[in-house]
Amino acid sequence: MAFIPSHRKRHKTDTGEVRLQLTSMMDMFTILLVFLLKTYATHGQLIIPSQDLTLPTSAIQHPPELGLDVTVSSDWILVNGKPVEQTQNVASQEGHIIPRLRDELLRYAKRAVKMEEMYGAKFSGKVTIQGDKHLPYRLLIRVMATCGQSNYPNMRLVVYKIEG
Amino acid sequence: MAYRPSKRRTYGSEWVHTNITPMMNLMVVLIPLLLTSAEFVRLGVIELNLPPAALGPEGKMLAELPQEERRKLDLTVTITDRGFFISSSLAVLGGLREGEPSIPLLNGEYDFPSLSVKLFEIKKRAVNHFPDSDRIILMAEPEVDYQTVVSTMDASRSIRVNGKVEILFPDVSLSAGIF
Repeated sequence: MAFIPSHRKRHKTDTGEVRLQLTSMMDMFTILLVFLLKTYATHGQLIIPSQDLTLPTSAIQHPPELGLDVTVSSDWILVNGKPVEQTQNVASQEGHIIPRLRDELLRYAKRAVKMEEMYGAKFSGKVTIQGDKHLPYRLLIRVMATCGQSNYPNMRLVVYKIEG
Repeated sequence: MAYRPSKRRTYGSEWVHTNITPMMNLMVVLIPLLLTSAEFVRLGVIELNLPPAALGPEGKMLAELPQEERRKLDLTVTITDRGFFISSSLAVLGGLREGEPSIPLLNGEYDFPSLSVKLFEIKKRAVNHFPDSDRIILMAEPEVDYQTVVSTMDASRSIRVNGKVEILFPDVSLSAGIF
């Protein structure tokens, strides 16, 4: 009898083993890798933006620097993470200086001057101010005046960089 | 014709599945590593240096500089809720009508490009005549937004003209004038 090739076996598609299709996942991972390589940053984060405020945006190109951190949100004024004064108290004050902020800054300044005497690390007088973008101008001016009067005249305003 | 199964040969090349497990290995290590060091939001800082004893008698932020031989420009931009007023030690740049801001609001928004253009004109005329032609003083009403002040600083720092970036007034001081 002539052997007739079986029709049934021709349609047999189930080979009995399951193969995991990883090629599409590889495609996605490759694209993700290329994107992340592009946004790779080598300088790390010197300033951690505070969570309860939105920084204003600016086209400035200056990179961030290290300094004493003064955060002005809509509720509290914090120095290096420590709450110092409530924003609404400032509005009712007279004059340009915020007393509690000034006292706190003077303490830091005194400590920094002592460190300078002991270790020789020069006191730069730098303070980085993080403020919510909807802060009123008078609050900003008062904070800056207080910093200026407390041996911290070099102010740096932290902003989000946008294309200029 | 080979009808017997043992006599048959498979023609055509085998499709060889490359083993991508090692590559997946690499991806699973690299991707989280790069994710943690990726910066999606870039921060910048605007420098404002005050001379140490900053407050004068009226509470202005500027230190009183010694009198100089040549007259100073003292270019000032005042941000109000009606627009920008540009003034200097010589004159106030008038708007369309008396008492109107030099650069009024455009559609209810601050018109930063026009401010840059106006400042560019002033810069061109002032650059050789005044010693402080790099300096600008910003004043604002008490309720003006921080973002508006920062955007004004941007607009007065430089302008892009014909594809080239021209420096206007990079030295910014804030003044506490109106309270």
